[in-house]
Amino acid sequence: MTLEVVEKHLELLIGPQHPGSGHMRLVAKLDGDIIVGFDPDVGFVHRAVEKIAETKGYVQIIPLVERPPLVDCVNVNLGYVLALEKLLGVEPPPQASYLRVLAAELNRVASHLYGIAIHAIMIGSSTMFMWPLADREVLLELLQDLSGARVTYSYVIPGGVRRGLPEGFKEKALKAFRYLRRRLRDYDDLFLSNPVTVNRLRGVGVIEMRDAVNLGIVGPNLRASGVPYDVRRAEPYCVYSDLDFEVMTRREGDAYSRLLVRIGEIEQSMKIVEQCLDKNPSGPILHESFLRGLSPKARAYMEQTGRVRFPALFSALKPPQGEVSVRVEAGRGELFFYVVSDGSPTPYRLRMVTPSFRNLAAFRHVMVGNRLADIPAIYGSLDYFPPEADR
Amino acid sequence: MMDSIEGFVNVILGLLFTPQIFVPLVYPGLLTAAVMAIVIIWLERKVAAKVQLRYGPLYVTKRMGGVTQLVADLIKFFFAEVIVPRDVDKLPFKLGPALLLTFSLLPVVALPVSGQFEAFRSDATLFLAVALLSVGPIYVIIVGWASNNKFALIGGLREGYLLVCYELPVFISALAMAVLYGSLDLVELVRMQGPGLWGALLNPFAAVSFLVATFMSTSRFPFEIAEAESEIVMGPYTEYSGICYGLCMAYSYIKLYVKSILFALVFLGGWLPTVWPFTLDPTLPGLIVAFKAAAVMLVGVFLRAVYPRYRIDQALQIGWRPLFALSTASLVWSLFMVGVKVGGWV
Repeated sequence: MTLEVVEKHLELLIGPQHPGSGHMRLVAKLDGDIIVGFDPDVGFVHRAVEKIAETKGYVQIIPLVERPPLVDCVNVNLGYVLALEKLLGVEPPPQASYLRVLAAELNRVASHLYGIAIHAIMIGSSTMFMWPLADREVLLELLQDLSGARVTYSYVIPGGVRRGLPEGFKEKALKAFRYLRRRLRDYDDLFLSNPVTVNRLRGVGVIEMRDAVNLGIVGPNLRASGVPYDVRRAEPYCVYSDLDFEVMTRREGDAYSRLLVRIGEIEQSMKIVEQCLDKNPSGPILHESFLRGLSPKARAYMEQTGRVRFPALFSALKPPQGEVSVRVEAGRGELFFYVVSDGSPTPYRLRMVTPSFRNLAAFRHVMVGNRLADIPAIYGSLDYFPPEADR
Repeated sequence: MMDSIEGFVNVILGLLFTPQIFVPLVYPGLLTAAVMAIVIIWLERKVAAKVQLRYGPLYVTKRMGGVTQLVADLIKFFFAEVIVPRDVDKLPFKLGPALLLTFSLLPVVALPVSGQFEAFRSDATLFLAVALLSVGPIYVIIVGWASNNKFALIGGLREGYLLVCYELPVFISALAMAVLYGSLDLVELVRMQGPGLWGALLNPFAAVSFLVATFMSTSRFPFEIAEAESEIVMGPYTEYSGICYGLCMAYSYIKLYVKSILFALVFLGGWLPTVWPFTLDPTLPGLIVAFKAAAVMLVGVFLRAVYPRYRIDQALQIGWRPLFALSTASLVWSLFMVGVKVGGWV
């Protein structure tokens, strides 16, 4: 008698060298066209951020933590600096807080536009890939005006921000938002109400509310499943408690609702930035304890240009012993920092839990039962960013 | 001596301009197909770029807007190494691309571009063209299988599923037109459209179902399913490289070109409205047909800028339900029209 090995399911290795996989390998088990097993194999872009952080000074860690979620760096920067300030016991001046929120929300819009573009190309819409990526340029210009850089702004520093609001920023921002609002209508015409898009995404990759909570999914993906959880509302930081915005939620929990939640959050973020620009109080942009550390020359430079030259104090920042944890709402969801200080110039431990890492749990759950062609449609809808998850 | 050379050249030219050679090799055959594919791919990229706020091909012959970009790409394809993986089924793998292109181009022998100039006269050229067009996809399935790659296999299978659902509407709507005009001869079909009664006006159902099935069969968006890049890399052609990949890529465009000519002949009045003295010379009718075909192709390639792609099951549903129903309705409509004409019911 001969034994015959029959492969009942087709095992498909998607990636890491695959146009639709990102920096990871997706192991899909297929029964015909239906996915019966799905396993994301991650770690291809692991950069040991947490370990490297243990060897760096506290200020040097700012550009380090910014790198993994490259398109969403202000929020990460903000999260880390909030943790550091909590250790130091420093409260930034009000203008700095408003500027932080402003930069964070501009970056959130850019991050969502990026996610929508990637989602669109994953289901084949090349136009909707190009449009948001081109319109992201508008926000990069604004952030460049504000911080001087187009990516990795390192805008938020302990005790404040690096630069004040430049001349004519408000008019420029309002003009940009008028343009973006017009473009959002274009997106709706071309993509969101395109029958093919609706057919591809509606009812695909559904995460029920209970499952979303149990899996610990965060951000727009959680809100699309009907849970109105947003750190900006649940545990307000900076000046979010003074600002009026809506937490976008939808009930369906499918790929289409996640897309719509992102679109809705773009509008809300623009609303927040407008409020920040209206309310923006005058005053210093750096905490006085650091201002005192500035040389008279550096202080004169700051008063003249509105830009901060790093006080020498920063290079040897030694927070007192202790441990803190901080949550912020990054573009893709809740971001968590846990920093332990042993009183030396480098942290004893830095833990960084990124939203993509949390959303990774959804993959195995949500793909099963869908079709092969739904893999990129769902992947894109989760706005999963491998470097952010791998860190 | 001079006389013999001159005579030789004349013989060659005479041979070249006999329809049996000219049609498959020059117009509407190989040469025109290649030029048309190059121009249409360039236009596709330019138009999509315009919609998407980009430039598109630009730097190769900048003054002409980069129109020779595709020629440069073709040269690149020729000099790129053709890699034949160790575990493929070598013979079908190597022959596949050539056969694909051959069978996508072969139907032009059945397509007349004027009333007088044709490769051969038959009273079933419409049937012949449609039948020859349906051979190509079989080789897509074969190369998908021969590639010994899971993505290629899935791509080939997708093409196989689609093949059945798009060929049926094509055949039925072609049949509807044959019933309507009472002939399977394309020359006769065009002649019947003479008094401005174009096929697309008399039987719009057939025109729509034929056109949608055409886009489906030539991997136009939203039916670019067999090659879906973000899902299965390049579908059946995943393992191909160099000029073999170039031939596979050309396959869908050549097929689109041939089907567009067929569409122009059957539904858009062919070389009409050319009037009598010009019909004697095949130049003007030929140009008119080419122009109409190019317009159809342009519609097909423009869809890339508008649509994402359907899932395979959704495309099959569209093929089997609305499209099949529409083509069947077109047949019924044709019968009704014939009844009106013959029986004078109205």
